[in-house]
Parts: sequence; structure tokens; C-alpha cells
Amino acid sequence: MATTSDVRDILELDTSQTNDFVTKESLMNDGKKKKLKKPDPAVKRPEGMHRELWGLLHSDSRYQTDAAPIVPSDTKQGYKQMKARIGSSKVRPWKWMPFTNPARKDGAIFYHWGRVADEGKDYPFARFNKAVDIPTFSDLEYQQHLHDDKWTRQETEHLFDLCKRFEIRFVIVHDRWDRERYKDYSIEDLKERYYNICNTLAKVRAPQGSEPKIKAFDAEHERRRKLQLTKLFERTPEQVEEEEFLMGELKKIELRKKEREKKQQDLQKLITAADSNADNRKADRKSSKKKLQAKELKLKDGGGITNPEPGGIKFSDFKASGTSLRSQRMKLPATIGQKKTKAIEQVLEELGLEFNPMPTEEIVTSFNSLRQDIVLLYELKLAMATCQYEMQTLKHRHDQLVANRSGGSTASTHAVSQYKSTSLGSFIDDIIGDTSVEVSYGGSSPNKRKFLVDTIDVVGTSSSPTKKRKAAIEQSNILKKIKQKM
Amino acid sequence: MTSQPQDSAGRQKGVVVVKPVVYGNIARYFGKKREEDGHTHQWTVYVKPFNNEDMSAYVKKINFKLHDSYPSPNRIVTKPPYEVTETGWGEFEIIIKIYFNDPQERPVTIYHLLKLFQSETDVMLGKKSLVVEYYDEMVFQDPTLTMTSMLANTTSLGVSTHKHETDFEEKKERTINKISNAHGKIRYEIDQMNEKLKRSKDAISKMKKEISKLEEGVIVDADIMS
Repeated sequence: MATTSDVRDILELDTSQTNDFVTKESLMNDGKKKKLKKPDPAVKRPEGMHRELWGLLHSDSRYQTDAAPIVPSDTKQGYKQMKARIGSSKVRPWKWMPFTNPARKDGAIFYHWGRVADEGKDYPFARFNKAVDIPTFSDLEYQQHLHDDKWTRQETEHLFDLCKRFEIRFVIVHDRWDRERYKDYSIEDLKERYYNICNTLAKVRAPQGSEPKIKAFDAEHERRRKLQLTKLFERTPEQVEEEEFLMGELKKIELRKKEREKKQQDLQKLITAADSNADNRKADRKSSKKKLQAKELKLKDGGGITNPEPGGIKFSDFKASGTSLRSQRMKLPATIGQKKTKAIEQVLEELGLEFNPMPTEEIVTSFNSLRQDIVLLYELKLAMATCQYEMQTLKHRHDQLVANRSGGSTASTHAVSQYKSTSLGSFIDDIIGDTSVEVSYGGSSPNKRKFLVDTIDVVGTSSSPTKKRKAAIEQSNILKKIKQKM
Repeated sequence: MTSQPQDSAGRQKGVVVVKPVVYGNIARYFGKKREEDGHTHQWTVYVKPFNNEDMSAYVKKINFKLHDSYPSPNRIVTKPPYEVTETGWGEFEIIIKIYFNDPQERPVTIYHLLKLFQSETDVMLGKKSLVVEYYDEMVFQDPTLTMTSMLANTTSLGVSTHKHETDFEEKKERTINKISNAHGKIRYEIDQMNEKLKRSKDAISKMKKEISKLEEGVIVDADIMS
């Protein structure tokens, strides 16, 4: 596709009236077709259309006044227009010419193709030859400031020499270190020495009042970091496996701990509830006469149960208008759950009470409150079981710590005796050893009385104290292992 | 009564009327299995007012829903005595639905398990009837005006003595005593348990302190050694 300019070129005709050299503009497009279409002022946002939606449709309208394309278009107007139009104008001449690289000290002369226009200019890539500024020091400076017991003057100079040669690439410096003549140093030692000297020099040489720039290098941190990486790298598959196992166990333990903490909070609530129960009882004793009046009040209220729910059963109060059976008010709510229902039934059976007694108003009220208290008792027992378990764990941990100490020092025997002698210790032993949650209730019942609590089966807790104990031991062993690893 | 506030549905807010009832069944063993249908017992299921009064003043009808194997299992009784007598060989649940004269009041449903068999010898031999009956109370919360007047104006049943097979007054006393006894026991145990729990809690926190002290000691030791 020879154009007229090519022909003229070949014939060496003067082409001065055409533009001299190719520009990017002329290469890519002649620019004439690029008529900037002014945005049509007639196209306005239709009434009621959201601004954002309009923006999507219309912001690109500088290029395309139509709506955004739905189907890929392959018309002339697309991006494919970017066709270089080569050969439309004259080329700039090239020349085989010599050049020197200022980055080289030897002044060697090489040849390359370059534009005629660039002849005589500096070699453009010379500016990429960055030189590192390595400080130098005088004898006096060395003696005054840079002396280090670990380093000899020769070693220091060797270090700076190598740093200069390899532009403080410490890995190479370390590699080329003359081990025959000088002591072997680690990379961190080399770096530490180098940066210390740099910083000292900067400080010494800094003019009065100005803050010198300090290069930060924490050799100790670096050493530890590399040690850690090395350790991590050198683990055997077995060790990796064990670590994973331990991490898993740790997670489990922490989860359990969280659970127990939550239970602890619940426990506090429970104790508060039980305390209020005790208060109510005292109040009841004092004002049995007032009870009647209260009852009348309740009648007025519509016979609903006005007691607060200490045990957590919420009986429906039947406040709505309409007819109902009194017995419906004794129904346990569906939310109570099987375990609690079972506990209630167990205790009622032990007490010789019907599950559905005759539903007079008085009976319904007292029966409901009785069951609320049974649930409270159940919850207390549950909390007690948790406490037992926790004590078990703590005791084991304690024993282990004491044993550890006695292995190391003699002072620990004192600690052991201290623990054993306290009432606390014996109390703990008492509770842990007591599988049925039955501690001597302070002499108020000399003949061994059967407690209703015992009829409650706290599922999965009181039944397997040995299992719990085992679990506790296992847990503390794992914790110990983890500690060792750290 | 007219002084009571009324809402739009004509209900009297704050008024509560209680009507105690007794329901249940009696059953008598034939002494042998009947040849033609294999039935063994004759039984009567009933709903009676606890007090001597004519329930028809406010009760429109009572529907006894028997087992589906009976011909026309829905037995409707509109006036006292509200009872259904049948024969049969098995126990099942009877659904007793009480409808009221004022259609605004929803019907009340009682579930009664028909009882035929008991281990007592006399009953087994058919000499004595088996009686299983329960006490319950129908509670009318905020009844309508018409319902209130119907509930208030009941006449006594013509029967000379109104007596139930079971002595409910005595049973009530017994139950109340038992419950309050039981409650006392439970409360006592709650207190005991609570005390113990508190002590345990203290013990745990002390134990924790002790352990953390020991742990610190161990760490210090380890540091010295290393």
C-alpha cells in the first residue's frame, strides 16, 4: 500500500509541505472524524425518573447518544477504529553511533543505533546507576566513638569494604566474608555493626541542634524472628500434627471455659432468685393474716397468678375475656422443656402429690408456685453440679501446681500444708467427693433425712462424676503441654 | 352489676364468675362378656354442677363425643341430667364440649378418659360400680351482660339431696395441706442448696486466687531457671 509520500520518498523529492514526522496523533487517527458531538440539550431527564438511574443511562452519552448497548456492537464507531496508519509520513533517521556510559569508570566505548536527533546527548540509562552512600570514618572517630569489644578494627574495615563493594547487600557480604582471616559473624551481627556505626557517625557528625536521621535496626528482634521461622520450617510432620491437635484442644477448653463463665452468671441470677424466695418466706410467716387480704386482692385481679416467677416457669395468666377451665391454668407451658417437666414429676411423685390436683383457685395458685420452686430447686442443683465440676478442675490444677513446685523448691511443702489445713480445702474435698450433692446441712437434721433434691436427676451430670474427673485431668494435662510448647 | 364498665362487645370488664362442675364416669362390669357384641361394661359419662343448681339456665347444650366406633358418636344433651349411658368393652377419651346460651361465649372443652377397669375386687366382680370423677371450675372472665344475668339467676335442681360420689371438700383440704407441706420442704431445701451454692462459689473464687498465685510463682521460678 504505497502512498504518494512513499513514492516521493523513494524519488527523494522534496516533501517539505507535508508534516515532517509522525506523531501519535497522526498515527492513530487523522482526527477529522472525531467530531465531538455536543450533548443534545433536548434529551432531559424524564419526570419522576431517579437521578441515579438516569445517570446510568445518560452519563456516557458524550460518546453514545443512544441508550447503553444491550447487544455487543461491532460497528465502525467502536474501539476498533484505533488502527495505526503507518507510512503516512516521513520517518526519523537512525544512526550507528558510539556512546560512553558515565556509570562506567573505564570509559569504554560501545556502539548502538540511536536517533540522529539524540546524537551527542548523555547515555539515558546512566541515571539508573545509583551509588549507595557508605560512610567512611577516620582513625580518630573510630577510637573515640566506634570501638566495640566484639569487633576488631580490621574486621570493621573489612565489613565496610564489602558493604561498599556489594552495596550493602548483606546476604552477599555475609557470603563473601573472609572467614579465614576474621571471625565468622551472622548476618544480623554484620547488620548490627554496620547500622550502629552509621548511626553513631550520623550523631557525631550532625551539626548542633539538628536531629540526625537514625536507621532503625533491631538486631535482637531480627534474630528472634529468624529463629522462629527456622523453628517453624524445621518442624516434623508429627510435630505439626501434635500442634494442630493441641490447638484444637485449646479451642475446646476455651469454649468450655466460656460456657462455664456464662453458667456462673446464671448462677448469680439463681442465687438472687433463691434469696428473694427466702425473703418471701419470712414475709409469709409474718403476715399470715395479710394473706387473706392478698387473696381477696388477687380475686379482684381476676384470679391470675401475681407471683413473680422465681423458678422461671411462666404460667399463662388468662387475662383475656372469655370462658376457660380452671384446670387449664395449671398446665405447664410448652416452653418449659422435658428435663424440667421430668424433674417436677419426680419431685411430685416423691411428695405423694397428684400431677393434676383438684383445681380450686387456691390450689391452682399454690400448686403453681410450688412447681415454680421445684424448678428453682432443679436449677440450683444443676448449678451445684456445675460448681462441683469446676471445683474438681480447679483442685486438680491446684494439685498439679503444688506438685510442680515441690519438684523445684522446698518451699512448696508449706503451700500444700496450707491448702490442706484450711477449711476451704476440706470443704472443697467434701463437695467433690459428694456425688449426690448432699453436704451435712449444719446439724438441723441429725438423722439422715432423705432430700427431695436427690430425686431430681440432673441428666448427665451427677450420674458420672468419675467421667467428669477424668475430663478435668485430661484438660489440665493438655494445658500443661501447651504451656510447655510456649 | 350495671355499674361495671363495658367494652364494645358488651363484656363487663373485671367481672369473674366461677361455676364449679364435676365430671367423670361410672362403670359397671356385666360379670361376663356379652355374647352378641362382646361388650363387657355399662358406663355413664356425666357433667354435674358442683352446687345444687340448674345448669340449663346458662348451658345451651353439652356435646359428648364418643369413640368413632359408636353409632352417631356425637351425643348432644340439652337439659339436665347431662349424661350419656352406653355399653362397651374399651376405654377411650371422651371429648365433652359445653355450649352456652350466649353464643358470644366460647364453648368449654373437657377431655375425660373413660375408665372401666380397676383392680379392686368388688368392682371387678361387678358388685360395685366404678366411679371416676373430677372437679373443675368454669371461669367466666368478663362475661357479657346477658350471660351474667343468666349465671346469676339459677334455680336449684328439684332433687332432694345433691351429693357427689367423691367428698371434694375433704379432698380439697387434704390437697391444700399437702401442697403447703411440700412447699415448706422445697423452700427449706432451696435455702440449704442456696447456702451451699454460695459457699461453693466463694470457695471457687478463693481457689482461683490461690491457683493464680501459684501460677505466678511457677512462672517466676521458670524465669529464674532460664
